Amino acid sequence: MGSLSGLLWIAAETLGADQGALDATANNIANQNTPGYSREIPVLSEADPTVAGNVTYGNGVTLQQIQSVRDQVLQIQIAEQNQQQGSAQAQYNSLQQVQSLFSDPTQGIGADFTAFFNSLSQLSTDPANMADRQAVLTAAQSLVSDFHSTEQNLDSIQSGLNQSVGQDVTQVNSLTQQIAKLNVQVGEMQKLGQDPGTLADQETELIQQLSQLTNVNQIQTENGLTLTTGNGTPLVVGGQSFALQTTSGSGGMTDISFEGQDITSSLKGGQLGGNLQIRDTVIPGVLGQLDNLASQFAAGFNAAHASGYDLNGNAGQAFFSDAAGAGAAGKLSVAISDPSLIAASSDGSAGSNGNVANLLAVQSQALPSGETPIDTYAGFVSSTGNLTSQAKAEVTASTASLNQLNNQLGSISGVNLDEETTNLLNYQRAYEAAARVVTTVDALTQSVLDMGSGVTSAP
Amino acid sequence: MRINPNFTPNLLDDLWQEESRAQNDMQELATGRRVNVPSDDPSAATADVQNQALQGQNDQYLQNTTNLEGMLQTADSTLSSVVTALNQAISLGVQGGNGGLSAAQQQAIAQQVEGIQSQVVQLANVSYQGSYIFGGTATQSPPFALDPTQSSGVSYSGNTGVNTVEISQGETMQVNLPGSQVFQGAGGNVMGCLQQLVTALQSGNADGIAAATTQVTNALSYLSQQRIFFGSAVSQLTDNQSFLQKEQVSLQTQDNALVGADLAQAATDLAQAQTAQTAALEAIAQALPQSLLNYLK
Repeated sequence: MGSLSGLLWIAAETLGADQGALDATANNIANQNTPGYSREIPVLSEADPTVAGNVTYGNGVTLQQIQSVRDQVLQIQIAEQNQQQGSAQAQYNSLQQVQSLFSDPTQGIGADFTAFFNSLSQLSTDPANMADRQAVLTAAQSLVSDFHSTEQNLDSIQSGLNQSVGQDVTQVNSLTQQIAKLNVQVGEMQKLGQDPGTLADQETELIQQLSQLTNVNQIQTENGLTLTTGNGTPLVVGGQSFALQTTSGSGGMTDISFEGQDITSSLKGGQLGGNLQIRDTVIPGVLGQLDNLASQFAAGFNAAHASGYDLNGNAGQAFFSDAAGAGAAGKLSVAISDPSLIAASSDGSAGSNGNVANLLAVQSQALPSGETPIDTYAGFVSSTGNLTSQAKAEVTASTASLNQLNNQLGSISGVNLDEETTNLLNYQRAYEAAARVVTTVDALTQSVLDMGSGVTSAP
Repeated sequence: MRINPNFTPNLLDDLWQEESRAQNDMQELATGRRVNVPSDDPSAATADVQNQALQGQNDQYLQNTTNLEGMLQTADSTLSSVVTALNQAISLGVQGGNGGLSAAQQQAIAQQVEGIQSQVVQLANVSYQGSYIFGGTATQSPPFALDPTQSSGVSYSGNTGVNTVEISQGETMQVNLPGSQVFQGAGGNVMGCLQQLVTALQSGNADGIAAATTQVTNALSYLSQQRIFFGSAVSQLTDNQSFLQKEQVSLQTQDNALVGADLAQAATDLAQAQTAQTAALEAIAQALPQSLLNYLK
């Protein structure tokens, strides 16, 4: 049997539920632009009914919980895309700087090679001409200085990346610390069957930021998430975060270690992985090739030079200073400063140009590395160009796919203002109606009390 | 169906893509190049490096051709003067061989021939930009000097070296003849026969004068043969020049095909990108204010 107090109780519950629903709506509206926020929905259900005889009385509504709408699978996919995009973007940024060193065909090492051999070709038409001889030295000097500046530029791009690596590690450590704190709270709430709500949103957002920095594996455990790097180095376990350490390694480059073990080469993906890839693989590769080119070219040219005679009839001295090994491109220099020491002659007479042909042959002969100097240089253009265009394509592709995933996630978790406004009106009306029930019950109760006092209330 | 309510990132992304496309087109139009950095087209950029190297070499071959032409023309015109001098010597020889000349007259003619002799030595010591053309590869000092101790009356301090110069890809040409070959060759010794004529005139021996004059005539025809080398070298250079110029045009055409921008295409693309950009902006302007709140009063 229904009762007035029952009615009042139903109305009170309704007011509470609608208030909760309004609360969720207000929170949604407030956070519509908060990154990582998942919209909340009130989970309403009917209260258990009371059965009296043949009549089943409904007992109103219960607000079970306020639930965040999220899709964890999508979020993991987004984290995956984030690390790909972070890596591609970082690589693209530095590769653009690297390729700019080889991008102007009328300047730089390639053009210098041509100019240098042209000056020799010019000398062959008048081998004793001092102006032509000086021009050869000048051209050699610009070739050498472009070797130097290319090497220096690569070095400075590399050390710039090294700084970024240090900053990335600091950021990773700060993020894992924050994640660990949230992870405890989220884990405890989940254990109790509560919705971790905005705490989980914050944690997810931080994990996305972490994914942009490096490849992160997520493992769900009883005690919340466990995060590890791609090769299994733990970053966050429950409420504990593990900091990556930086140490100064070979060549002044920062190494990253975990509990004393160097894990630099195992860190892939994300901005950190991208920066490491360029710093430790791409730039050393280009530098090595540049050093090879410088030392092999210098050696080949010196050998040809030694087979001739200078203007004074003496055998040709070394034209370039001996440069070999790492840093050869930076150490290469022109060994002679007196133009008369250029060994153009093949027989010791001043007017002979016989050895110029040998010197010119260095231009068209393959170096020990298998290609002519200019083709070797063209190889730099080709390899840096290809790497850059690949990275660019990867940025475009991963950005598109990230946008797509974010759209999908947005369609699930995003706050739609029209929807929220509609809900706002709905819950407002429901609240108003429930409040009316309370006034009605009040009036009825008054009537009942009046019945007891013998005074008939006015109809 | 629920859709992503926050569409501004997508709209902005579209807008940025259009803007970047428009910038790219503008750069193409401004530089005239389709490939401005290697990543625009790595294989074209690589081929461009090689093409530029070939163009640079080609320019140098043209430069070499011009330098050599000057030198070879100097040699040719010098030899032309020697021919004139030798003709003079022949007529002096014929004149001196005529009977009825007094010894004094013959001595006077002998002196004239000696003058020619020193003139020829001077001509043989011609230099071009500081290098003696007829010294073989010993170009830093005059190769010929009058020397009475020699049977030919002159001494040669040059050598027999020859230089070759690359005048186009893989093609070389000889650019000098040593003086010993031109003026003291086995087929006609210019210096020797002039000395012979001087000696014959001084001695007044009619047979000797006639024989020496014949020698000078022979030397003249030998010298003319030697001169052909320079004439044909100059014409080879002229041919080479027009070949190199054609080659240059063809290399530039190749380069343009490799990395040059199709300007009409770029202009059209730019217009399209700008239209798309405007459309994206309009979409943003229209979509953003749409809200249920506009209709609730």
